[in-house]
Amino acid sequence: MKALAVELTAPLREQTRARYPDESGYIERDGVRISYEVYGTGEPTVLLLPTWALFHSRHWKMQIPYLARHCRVVTFDGRGNGRSDRPHGAEPYAIREFALDALAVLDATATERAVVVGVSCATLWGVLLAAEHPERVAGAAFIGPAVPLAPPLPERTVYPFDELLDTDEGWAKYNIHHWRRDYRDFLDFFVGKCFTEPHSTKQIEDAIGWGLETTPEVLANHDAGIALPIGVDFGELCERVRCPVLVLHGDDDRIRPHAQGAALAEVTGGTLVTLEGAGHLPQARDPVKVNLLIREFVESLS
Amino acid sequence: MITAAPAREQTRARYPDEEGFVERDGVRIFWERYGEGEPTILFPPTWELVHSRCWKMQIPYFARHGRVVTFDPPGNGRSDRPRDAAAYHRSQVAEYAVAVLDAAEVERAIVVSWCDMGDSLILAAEHPGRVSGLVFIAPSLPTREREVAEFPFDEELDTDEGWAKENRHYWLRDWPGYVEFFISQMFTEPHSTKQIEDCVGWGLETDAETLLVSFRGWDIKELDPETTVELCGRIRCPALVIHGTADELVEHERARAFASELGGVYVSLEGSGHGPHARDPVKINGLVREFTESIAPSQPKERRWTRAKSRRRRALYISSPIGLGHAQRDAAIADELRKLHPDLEIDWLAQHPVTAVLEARGERIHPASAYLASESSHVESESAEHDLHCFQAIRRMDEILLANFMVFDDLVREQQYDLWIGDEAWELDYYLHENPELKRAAYVWLTDFVGWLPMADGGDHEAFLTADYNAEMIEHIARFPRLRDRALFVGNREDVVPDSFGPELPQIRDWTEQHFDFAGYVTGFDPQALGDRGELGYSDEERVCIVTVGGSGVGGHLLRRVIESFPEAKERVPDLRMIVVAGPRIDPASLPQHEGLELRAYVHDLYRHLAACDLAVVQGGLTTSMELTANRRPFLYFPLRHHFEQNFHVRHRLGRYGAGRCMDFETDGPSEIAAAIAEEIGREVDYRPVERDGAARAAALIGELL
Repeated sequence: MKALAVELTAPLREQTRARYPDESGYIERDGVRISYEVYGTGEPTVLLLPTWALFHSRHWKMQIPYLARHCRVVTFDGRGNGRSDRPHGAEPYAIREFALDALAVLDATATERAVVVGVSCATLWGVLLAAEHPERVAGAAFIGPAVPLAPPLPERTVYPFDELLDTDEGWAKYNIHHWRRDYRDFLDFFVGKCFTEPHSTKQIEDAIGWGLETTPEVLANHDAGIALPIGVDFGELCERVRCPVLVLHGDDDRIRPHAQGAALAEVTGGTLVTLEGAGHLPQARDPVKVNLLIREFVESLS
Repeated sequence: MITAAPAREQTRARYPDEEGFVERDGVRIFWERYGEGEPTILFPPTWELVHSRCWKMQIPYFARHGRVVTFDPPGNGRSDRPRDAAAYHRSQVAEYAVAVLDAAEVERAIVVSWCDMGDSLILAAEHPGRVSGLVFIAPSLPTREREVAEFPFDEELDTDEGWAKENRHYWLRDWPGYVEFFISQMFTEPHSTKQIEDCVGWGLETDAETLLVSFRGWDIKELDPETTVELCGRIRCPALVIHGTADELVEHERARAFASELGGVYVSLEGSGHGPHARDPVKINGLVREFTESIAPSQPKERRWTRAKSRRRRALYISSPIGLGHAQRDAAIADELRKLHPDLEIDWLAQHPVTAVLEARGERIHPASAYLASESSHVESESAEHDLHCFQAIRRMDEILLANFMVFDDLVREQQYDLWIGDEAWELDYYLHENPELKRAAYVWLTDFVGWLPMADGGDHEAFLTADYNAEMIEHIARFPRLRDRALFVGNREDVVPDSFGPELPQIRDWTEQHFDFAGYVTGFDPQALGDRGELGYSDEERVCIVTVGGSGVGGHLLRRVIESFPEAKERVPDLRMIVVAGPRIDPASLPQHEGLELRAYVHDLYRHLAACDLAVVQGGLTTSMELTANRRPFLYFPLRHHFEQNFHVRHRLGRYGAGRCMDFETDGPSEIAAAIAEEIGREVDYRPVERDGAARAAALIGELL
């Protein structure tokens, strides 16, 4: 898989979209500009959240054209990638900042209430938003959630992130020194772990391309921002979520264990759909099934 | 078309868990409750021309997913037939509904009505706390002035053609004539004989005098437009209106206008008549379920989907429980399939007695099998003295077949299979062709006969019905040839009867050759594994005659008749040893005894004994008679009266093999049987040999789809 991924290169320009936004713009908070897009009209609105700064809003490309035919879709690039700013330091990347960006985008697009959908660590700000602003969130769907409700994969706890290591095998690549030395090698590795499904070359190529649109410094800042305290225990926050919750989690997720998704569904009283044979980013690899599940969830709320 | 009301109610797929009467203003109303839990669906009555059995295609399905309450209208079913018009008033029926909900301890229900004339609308408007949703199927609720009927109801007319039959004087003169006319207008879809027959039957359970108490024309029977509009404005719960474009009783525009007044979702069924819940029950059940789910979701908290590439190779085998022969041949085919595809997992959707055979072999029986309504009990209940009207028994099984199809459909929505195999799984084949969008896997159809054939004493009407069933099947296959990925005939070309499907229909053999592959006969056992006489306890000094009716409970009369022949047969054949096997459904103690006659409840590995005997006396079923043919044993067989398959299809096939001696239960008494035993026992036979590779050939044809 590694040999294959290394052959892949980031495309020079964005490929043709199936659908272009009907409206786009920026919001600005504390001097940080956030780029948003709106597709389609009508009710309800689905807010597709940004995830880790490794990717930007194009990671929803398989969902937007479909969902926009049935409802209104709002996306935004998270700070640190895409057309949004890449501020310095950890604080601008705190979990709460992403939740506040989401609120500002909802305001800017005159969206009173939305169904929020997020992948991986988007769950952190998605839960915060749903718990603290219940009037803005009609329902929340989380895909491969990265949540501290169950232990991480054991192989991810072996190597420290900040220290110089004498190896760069496997998860030792998740290390700031390796990132600075060979960011591309890290991307190949990490994205390869995201897509455990055979025949995922296009998904891998896309994801590496988005990863190359940001820098190791931004990713390190984002990780440090996520680690900043939010002032409340995450488990308690989850318990405060009152809206319907849907969790999708692959049982072959090599980034975040299925147990984290199961725990999130449990604590929020949500529905857990296990995707057998799926990895960390099924919205890209199994878009038909994920689209249908999201639509079914959205329909169940109206 | 002449139809007759059935003498008794056909077997239900599900019986109520609770029933009772409520009494209101001296009128007793009969109600039933099925199932537990939520959601609760109330199916109220419609016009008292029919009663609560009109919901027979819905009850078993929804009772599996919640609670169902029904009640009979005043004037039909088990409710009273009051002589006071007020007892039939729309608002009064709404009050009966409240009383029934109270009696069944139902707080709130989703009300699903057929041809509502106002009762459900009043119920929801007056008692909003009791109704959480409304479904109107073909509602007859005017929102603007309706046209005046062509013929006045109360006046003497000089014609009784068409709608002139809807007239007080004609009703009193010829009630069945009116019922047949009205119901024929209800089902405009071709091939609706069973639905028409059912409704006519229910219409004949009441009479003109009873309906005349409250009927003086539709304008009086139904709500007026002003009240309808006013009530619509008061409805706050979700609503769904379903209407067929070929509804001859309620104009499409009226139903659409009503839906729009109500603010409900409107579903138009193209080509459907006035009773789609009876004629297109799969679709209606799906629509109503979708509606109930939108009000009260029942999705489990944990679900699972497997990526296509991660799926194991799986087949679902649906084996008909009518006759034990299917179980053996299907198991043999499954074994051969696994040889071709060692990674194949086979689940069985099956019921008793098939499951007994499968369990003994360690096959995987899908847990959903527990929800299947019993087909074999129904068939048994339809039989009389050595008599089973097989065609009518299958027609009268429509409710069970539909209930079992819904079990299948629920199962395959949740679980992915590569292949469905249906061995005479009528429900699967019929409802897939009626709802082709439900096909989700490769599908193989197996049968050992093609063509419904009428019995002579059924006259023109039965010939009309069998031709209609054949025509529907032929149209199904012609219109949706992709549905059956493979159709296998268990037998050879020449085993197909040289008859016609009916007037203006093809010859059965020609058509079958064009639409089937031929697997040859599948015996379901290995002839090499059969033991010899000595091992089974038979000596060479005796001649052994085994009398068996298999696992059927229909065979008691034949066993008694043969037992009666024993003394005379023994006189003619002094070394005769007769063994009568009663089988699981007949108590041997209930049979007469003669000295020297052996009566047994059960014989282990009966097929080995049949393979070693000097003569067998059996019914006319295919499996046992072909087993005897394959093992080259002489045998007497008695086709069940009115069993078209045994009388035509099996008899034709045995004739081709030159096997067996056909007897007639009608005319052959003990003396004739004794004489036949003497002539046939121990005879050297010259049967055409039966192939031994049928299961492997069938599996090879099926396996190509995997």
